[in-house]
Amino acid sequence: MDVVMPQLGETVKQGTVAVWRKKVGDRVEKDEPLFEVSTDKVETDIPAPAAGVLSAILVPEGETVPVGTRLAVIEVAGEVRSAPSAAAPATPVATGAAPPPAPAARPAPPFRREEGGPRLSPVVRRLLDEHHLDPAAVTGTGADGRITRDDVLAHVARTQREATPAAGDATVVPMNRIRRLTAERTARSVAVSPHVLQAVEVDFSAVDAARRASADAWKSSEGFSLTYLPFVARAVCEAIGEFPHVNASVRGESLLVHPHVNLGVAVDLGFEGLVVPVVKHAQRRTLGELARELRALAEKARRRALSPDDLAGGTYTLSNSGPFGTLLTAPIIQQPQVAILSTDGVRKRPVVVEGPDGDAVVVHPVGVLAQCFDHRAFDGAYSAAFLKRVREILERRDWSAELT
Amino acid sequence: MAQLTYREAAAAGIAQEMARDERVVFLGEDVAAAGGVFKATGGLLQRFGAKRVRDTPISEQAIIGAAMGAAMTGLIPIAEIMFSDFLAVCWDMIANQIAKTRYMTAGQVSLPLVIRTANGSGARFGAQHSQSVESWAMAVPGLKVVAPSTPADVKGLLAAAVRDPDPVLFFEHKGLYATQGEVPDGEHVDRLGTARVLRTGSDVTVVALAAMVPRALQAAERLEKEDGISATVVDLRSLVPLDTQTLLAETSRTGRLYTVEENPRLCGWGAEIAAIAAEECFYDLDGPIVRITTPHVPLPAADALEDATVPTVERIVETIRRTAG
Repeated sequence: MDVVMPQLGETVKQGTVAVWRKKVGDRVEKDEPLFEVSTDKVETDIPAPAAGVLSAILVPEGETVPVGTRLAVIEVAGEVRSAPSAAAPATPVATGAAPPPAPAARPAPPFRREEGGPRLSPVVRRLLDEHHLDPAAVTGTGADGRITRDDVLAHVARTQREATPAAGDATVVPMNRIRRLTAERTARSVAVSPHVLQAVEVDFSAVDAARRASADAWKSSEGFSLTYLPFVARAVCEAIGEFPHVNASVRGESLLVHPHVNLGVAVDLGFEGLVVPVVKHAQRRTLGELARELRALAEKARRRALSPDDLAGGTYTLSNSGPFGTLLTAPIIQQPQVAILSTDGVRKRPVVVEGPDGDAVVVHPVGVLAQCFDHRAFDGAYSAAFLKRVREILERRDWSAELT
Repeated sequence: MAQLTYREAAAAGIAQEMARDERVVFLGEDVAAAGGVFKATGGLLQRFGAKRVRDTPISEQAIIGAAMGAAMTGLIPIAEIMFSDFLAVCWDMIANQIAKTRYMTAGQVSLPLVIRTANGSGARFGAQHSQSVESWAMAVPGLKVVAPSTPADVKGLLAAAVRDPDPVLFFEHKGLYATQGEVPDGEHVDRLGTARVLRTGSDVTVVALAAMVPRALQAAERLEKEDGISATVVDLRSLVPLDTQTLLAETSRTGRLYTVEENPRLCGWGAEIAAIAAEECFYDLDGPIVRITTPHVPLPAADALEDATVPTVERIVETIRRTAG
């Protein structure tokens, strides 16, 4: 029986084989974890489709292949044995993917012995490959100038020392998968999108009044406290209705304006990485629904239980540093979106209010909303008008009506 | 800790198990009254009596047949075959009957028996009394195969073999009987299928068995001193079950694997070890796997010729020195 790359979400077209849980020749039971697939930032254990013996692994760990690609073969008792390479690949023709490579438990390092080139041992070939080194760069000290394992390791240690002159006593912390992805994507986003930062100061006294009025009832019926975030989410969704280009993607020389607001919310995983689960069709949801949904997604993220679908399809993103009391954050846009909003700390401040008897100074909860937008998509005036609308909604809405 | 010879440790191991369990009996040629031709079983007759310690006629088939029947009917026999070369005359009983009984009776009949035998060269006994035949036994599914290199391992592994529910071939080495070593006091039971890392080095891993273990250790000392080559030495102790975890871990650590075998080269156990390493840790290897073995010839009786045939410390040193770069 063939094992194929499963479709882990409606929007997922490919997956990476992260780990094989079984070796060729191992017995597997039906539904026993067979391999781990990573798509985006989510890793999912895939159960074996049938009981039998794992007779071939066609796609090695680390390789990304389209959904439906044959990954392995399970020899099921009573099933006619078919040579791993005999059957036609199950890969959809449209993807144009090459048929899976010949069975290999581990990818063979790419270095071939060139005519007259150096003779390299298996471990040397593997190390050169892992460190992206040319054998010509390494001095061999073995018999007849052969490059040994120690030569490669010494070379790597030396170049690392030279590359980080002051790092003599520094602790080397390898990046985990999420860190690497975040590094790659943020760098790419900054390179692709001209970021512009704009911020508005928002008086949260209307929000606060509604929050406080319903605090006890909400806590007792829902089991968690209401934060500022769902109010901001609700205001953003409404404002997008009037300023739809904020909820868009740049495609070539066009702007793709999305019909729905799929609102991403950045969730920190205890300083071990950042994921952005998405509330689908957020514009249709009430304040209460948004509060519950945001809470549920954050919990799921911290349990590391998000599915690829939870992370897919975002069209606008909120980044919430508010709980840490930040003044202002300039966030980086999640490609291919064109804007991202940071909700920073809300603190009590003296505020001047105009009344019938003239100006008065009162104490109100105030916080900054900061948006970075992609200048290719629209200009500062459009962004500023959008922010102004968000602020108006937050400051002027009778929120208590929305919490019943 | 008591200082015992390898031969005293054999007697101590048998005595320990006979004292523990009265189902344990011991039989073989000249093992009782004479205390064994290698004097490895002295005192057992006096201590346990003629019913449990038996001299047999000169018929290896009779010894093995009796042991098999005794094991089938509730005893735990230790049978001695004086020279391991003579296992050949028992091979139908061992390879076809004893090894297969558990399987062909669907597990209804197990054979908890141990066949002790003196293996290997060094005594100039010639082609029919000097062979290392552990690879014969290793080739038969259903047999466990143990070959200790120290007095402590003789006692501990023999005890483990007696307590094992299945047939174990226990290869003592003629050339080691006179060697001494510390043996733990009191009851001493080891585990089958566990190799031992005797020396840890960073450049090469040398895997050896039985009499080749002390030679590998001496070679490692010389390589360290004379060539600055730092060698790990692993004593396999047991071929079936085989401690592949230790084998692979120690091979991967240094990237170089050598086997030192007294058995003839073709299909020696080192070939199996090399195949396992090539399959399981190929990308950790930094050079070809090298087997240091006796050549594929019947062993000569002449001193000089026997010495030229079986791997010596000199040959191990020279081979590693030549190939480790």
